[in-house]
Formats: sequence, structure tokens, C-alpha cells
Amino acid sequence: MMSNKRLRLLPVWAAISAVFVIAGIVLMALLGFNNALDLPESKTFDVYYNVVVDLSEERKASLETYCEDAFREENISFAKKQTLEGQAAPVSQTQGAFSPTGNDFLLRYTFTADVPDTALAAAMQKVNADIEADDAFAQATAAETFVSFDALTVQPMNEAVWRGAVAVAVAAVVALIYVAIRFGPGCALTGLVACVNDAFLTLAVFAIARIPVYTFAPMLYAAIAAAVSVTLWLIRCMKLRDDAKTPAGALSAGECVERAVGATDKTVLLCAGTLLAVLAVGAACTAATGAAAVFAGALIPVAAGLYSSMLLAPALHVAVKAKFDKLKKRSVRYEGKKKSAKAEE
Amino acid sequence: MGKKKSVVLLVIYTLLIAVLCFICTVSFSYGTDGMYAFSSVMRMMEKDADLGLAYGANADAGAYLGGGYSAVYYPEGVISAREYRDDFADNPTSEEAQNYVRYPDENGPVYLEKDVACDADGKMTNSFKTAFADALETVTARFAALRADGARVESVGGYAIRVFLPAMMDGEYTAVNLFANTGELSLRCGTDEATATDVFSVRSDETIADYVSAVNARSAGETAYVEFVFTDAGREKLADATSGAAETAVTLYFYVGDALIINLSVSEAYDQNTLYISGSYTPETAATVAVLMSTAIGGSEDDLPLTPADAYFHPALYGESTVWMLYLTFGIFFVAMMAFFFVRYHRLAFVHLYTYLLFLFVNILCGWAIPFVYLSVETFLAFLCASVLLCVSDAVCFESARKEYALGKTMTSSVKTGYKKCFWKLFDLHIVLAVIGFLTYAVALSSLQTAAFVFGLATVFSGLASLAVNRFGWAVMMGTSKRQGAFCNFRREETDDE
Repeated sequence: MMSNKRLRLLPVWAAISAVFVIAGIVLMALLGFNNALDLPESKTFDVYYNVVVDLSEERKASLETYCEDAFREENISFAKKQTLEGQAAPVSQTQGAFSPTGNDFLLRYTFTADVPDTALAAAMQKVNADIEADDAFAQATAAETFVSFDALTVQPMNEAVWRGAVAVAVAAVVALIYVAIRFGPGCALTGLVACVNDAFLTLAVFAIARIPVYTFAPMLYAAIAAAVSVTLWLIRCMKLRDDAKTPAGALSAGECVERAVGATDKTVLLCAGTLLAVLAVGAACTAATGAAAVFAGALIPVAAGLYSSMLLAPALHVAVKAKFDKLKKRSVRYEGKKKSAKAEE
Repeated sequence: MGKKKSVVLLVIYTLLIAVLCFICTVSFSYGTDGMYAFSSVMRMMEKDADLGLAYGANADAGAYLGGGYSAVYYPEGVISAREYRDDFADNPTSEEAQNYVRYPDENGPVYLEKDVACDADGKMTNSFKTAFADALETVTARFAALRADGARVESVGGYAIRVFLPAMMDGEYTAVNLFANTGELSLRCGTDEATATDVFSVRSDETIADYVSAVNARSAGETAYVEFVFTDAGREKLADATSGAAETAVTLYFYVGDALIINLSVSEAYDQNTLYISGSYTPETAATVAVLMSTAIGGSEDDLPLTPADAYFHPALYGESTVWMLYLTFGIFFVAMMAFFFVRYHRLAFVHLYTYLLFLFVNILCGWAIPFVYLSVETFLAFLCASVLLCVSDAVCFESARKEYALGKTMTSSVKTGYKKCFWKLFDLHIVLAVIGFLTYAVALSSLQTAAFVFGLATVFSGLASLAVNRFGWAVMMGTSKRQGAFCNFRREETDDE
């Protein structure tokens, strides 16, 4: 009789996973992931300037001030500010590499797509007016600055995404074939379900919670989920195999799993905890950079792997092991009958 | 192991680690006025364009700062408002200036040419919209086919295309330059470009695909080349065109639209289905030319001509301090790891330290030596995961031996039995994870592919380090200590005497 309550709650864990995964798949199909970090739709406000006529550092700084004052006045805020260095136009086939012109620069402000064109147009007029009113600029030629704004839409390149999904699926299946050979098909089946669950659960969490991710990241997280899931499940499998070697009386499938789970809980928690801690440190250290999102996002697949290893996979394996034990017994009985029939002949 | 032998081996082991540490991490200048520089492997290792840190032999001079290059492809009939101002500021009422309309309104960033991109009222024509959509699709397909991590194509307001390539390729310029060429692939043959005639003379009911079935990039060793695969009809036409080449050398001119991309001198009749052109291609430029030619097979003479302009260098996506932050992360991980091992295993932690350092330096050397491996956030993440695996594996081995020692066995027997008990467990774990890493590498693309390879490789090293190197280090270091239980912080189980 199993005393561990979580092993008896398979329908609950399955329902939780199913709800998340189904909702996630629907959202993935309808909305995809929140790729806000890559700004799939954006608007850029560009101030071009050149230094042929000696645009001094102060005047470059004043361009920034004019722009940011104008944005404040229009009540709009930018997501990114960059100063880009102009390169010779890539029109010559004999040239092998980009080369800076040395006198063309672009002050670029990137906005989200919901910023109205009217506000950007008003900001543009204001910046132009400020430049015109600035004596320092007025003394120079009119061609040294130019203000414009554009709306941009990123074109999807999906090959990396679907290849990533296939890669994770293939890798998980092959790895679990190895598990089937070494630990038995029951362990592999439970591992496969856990692995698929964790990969989808991870993607579902990103899709449902609309957590911002880079375009490449979802499949990276699915791969991490698969690897973590398989690792944590292997720890359980090793104990199950060890227990199977030692005669412990006629234990039911539930009791076997309960014993293995009880003995390996600490190891599983330690492994997952260590990984979570390392990722959290990575996210904290890179907090001021764009890489923090990659580390922080990686916490979710590890957490998903921990969830299935602690709750879903052991509960499922009770049922799977019972079924496989039954099949095994039946096959042993059948083999025995065949042998006795042969002996009688 | 005898004490003398242990000491000798330990010294050699320590020297090896010290040398590797020096090679991998120390950079310095020497000679008069620091004329020569010794660059560490870490410095030489390729870095992701998103990280933005100078690397390579000229890192001090800021050889590389990550980031990438962007350019805007303006279709025929579209010019930027800045270009319009530069061209017509002096004479805005000229007939030519009047032939342009600012788009989409008086604040628009471009001007459209009447009867080319817009009608007389300044409204963009449907034919232009369709042609632009086709051109955008072609350009996107070309950049996607490069499979460069971080490549980006954006539609600018439905009137221009902005492309971006990370500064990690050898040929960003070539790609941006060549991919602006639209139109159909054509092949001309003659003694000079002006008099060259079309080889295939594609009829109205045919396309170039009836003559050229594929264009691929190949490489063998250092040589990269572009491979043209002709159909039988194409082969016949090419043989006809070059039949007199033995007497008078001719040149084959490969065009995309109106742009000449390749010219190839032929001095004998060419009668084969496959034509290889090597020239001075690198694998990347050969791939770029092959992608261009391959997509041009489906092109047509009605394709919208594009002109590349407005090229800029962009700073790294994650910011220039990211690499230092990654090193800081590693530092914290390393200190925490060693603190745990020293507290729990006392001097046995040195065994893990040596094992881990060897694992670290071998990974760094591989990261530098394997051409497609580079330091990125993803590969760093993969390396960290494998590091955790090694720490867990070493801890499992130590704990396994600790249990045996507690039962009253000798240290040698405890280590032997401990390893025996956990060997297959750790073996299975490493095999499964290495399989996941390498299979993901085999199928996936770009950053996931590289990260998966690093994970697979680091997992293999972790397995070797944990199951072989760690045991060797243990045997060597333990041989130097008389009180082996205290060395490892292992204790016997206390039994009550009744």
C-alpha cells in the first residue's frame, strides 16, 4: 500500500499538465511567443548627421537633447538608443568588407510599434525646428543633419525554429531508446512522457505568461527541459534498477516506485536546486545586459523538469510499472507453459 | 601508490594544470615597446557578435567589437527623403523633382517616383506592392538560407528592405552586396562581355529551371567552390556554346538580372552536367554566391531591382560588458563550488579542483580549436550545465566512497568499491546527455546547434574527468597523506560496544 500521497494523484498532475499544455499549444498557434525582445514590429526615429563640416561633440550631444526633449513633450518613450557608424554603400563587387566612411553617423531611437506616427511626426518637426533655431547648426551647411522615422516589420525565418523542435524530439527519443535498453521499456515510456510533457510545459509557460523571449530561445529552453527531465528521471531509474536486483519480497509496483522516489528525492532536489541556483546567479550577474533574459528564461525548463520528476513521472510510473510487471508475469507464465509442454513431448 | 611516486605525479599534474592555465588565460605584451603580444586562448576564442568584446591577436587595438552591419535596399522608384533633398534641394521645382512624391505623407522618409512606384496622385500602385512583396520574400529567403545566427530582414514601411548581418562572417559585405541583385539567372558566352550571347535562349514556355537544376556551395579542405548542376538540355546547350572554345577561348558570364556575378574563362568544350567554379571563394562567400544563384533560378525579368544604401555598423546586441558579466558568473559558480567541496571533503576538494580545472581548460582549448564553436550566452549556458554535471558526478563518487569507508573498509578498498558502485550510473547519465547534445547538434541550426555541440562535448569531458581523471587525481593526492580518512573528511561508522 502506498503511503506517499503524490504517487496516488496521477489524474491531478496529468490534468494540470494537460491544461497548461493544451492552453499553451492553442496560444502558440494563435499568437506565437512574445518576441518583444527582438522587436518584431517597431518604429525607428533616425537623426542622420555627418562630420564633414565638423559637427562637434557638443552639437552631437545637443541632437540627443533635442530628440529626447521632443519625445518627452510628445509623451513617448523609446525602447533603445544607438549611435550607428556609417559605412560605404555596399554596391561595389570588388570590395570585400564594409568600411566606415568616417563622417556619417546615425542617432537611432527605437520605439515599439504602438507609438503613434503623429507623435513621431510632431517630434520630428520639433527636432527640425530646434536644429534650425540652434545658431551652431545654422552656421553649418543644411545638409549635415536629417531627421526621419520609419515603421519596421521583421520577416520571420522559421527554419531554425522547426529544425530545433525536430532536433529536441529526435534527441529525446534516441536517448530514451538507450534508457529502454539499460533500464527497461517501462522506464523509457515514463521518461518519454515526462520529457515531452516538460518540453511542452516549458513552451506553454512562455506562451501563456507572455514572457518575453528572443526568437531563438524557445527551442533552446525545450532542449534544456528535455535534458533536465531525462537526467532527473534517470536518477529515479537507477534506484529502481538497484532495487530490482535485491530481493525485497513481493513488492507491488507502487511500493517499488515509492521506495525509489523516497531514496532519490534528495538527490533530485539537490541536482535541480544547484542548476536553478547557477542559472539565478547568471541572471543576476548579467542583469544589466541583454543576456539576463536568456538565463532567467532557463529557470523555467529546469523548474518544469523538477515538477515532472517530483510529481508527474513517479505517479505515472506506478501505473506503467504495474502494467509492464503484469505483462512480464504473463510472458514468464507463457514461457513456463511452453517449456513444460516441450518437456511432456 | 608510494609517497615518492605520488609526489612526482602530483608535481607533473600541477605543472600541466599551471601550463594550461597560462596558455588559456594569460595575455601579455613583450619586446621593445611591447611590440609583440602573447594572446591567451580565451582571448583568441571567437566571440558571438551579440557579446561585443574585442578579441583576437589585435584585441588591444579593438580588433572586434561584436555587433553587425545593416543596409537598406531601395527598390527602383523609391529614394530616401535625404537623397531627394541632396539631389533636388537646389532646384525643387525642376521637372525631375516634381516627378517624385513624398510617401506616405508630407513627413514620410521616402519619395516615390510617379508611374514607377506610385500613380500621379502619389498613391502606391498595386503592381509595385506585388513586386515589392516578391522581392521581400526573395531577400528573406536568401538571408535565411545563409543560416547566420542573428541575420535579420525587415520590411521598412512596405517601400524598402532593411537587412542586418552579425559581424561574425568573413563576407557580410559580399552577402549584403550580392543579395540586392534580383532577376533571373542567365548564362552568356562569348569572347567579351559586350558581344556575349545567351547560352540557353529560354523560350516563353520554359524557365531557366529547365536548364539549371541547382546551384550549390561545396568545399574540400581549404578550397571552396560553387557547383552548377545542369539538366540534360542545359548540358547540351552549354556544350554547343563552348564547342569552339578549344580554338578560341571564350568566357562564360553568369548574370542575375543585369548584374554580372561570375565570369569563367573556358578553353575547351564543356560537356558535363556539373560545373565547378572555385575562384577565390571562402566557404562563406561560395555559400553566398550559391544562395544568390539558386534563388535566381526562380527569378524573372519583372523582379523589382534593388539598390543597397544606408549601410551602418551596429553595436553588440547584449552590450559590451556582457562577456565580463559571464566571467563574473563563472567566478561566483567556481567559488561556490570549491567552498562546498572544501567544507564537505576538506583536502579531497583539491582532487575535484584539479579535475575541474583540467575539464575547464580542455573545453577552452576545444572552443578555440573547433572552427564553428564560439563563446556566446548559449554556449556558456551549455558549459555551465556540463560543469554542474561534473560537480554532481564527482560528489556522487566521493559520497559513494564515503559510505564504503564508513563501513570499515580501507581507503583503497572504499575508493575502488565506491567507484565500482557508481561507475555505470554515471556512465549511463553521461551517455544519455551526450546523445541528447550531439543529436540536437546534428539536426538543429545556428545558436542551438553550437550550444548543443558544446554541451555534448563538455558532457563527454565531464564523464572522462569524473570517471578517470578524478580517480587518478585521488590516487595521486591520497598517496601524499598518511591520515587518509582525515584527508577526505571521511569517518568510520561508530558502533556501540555492548
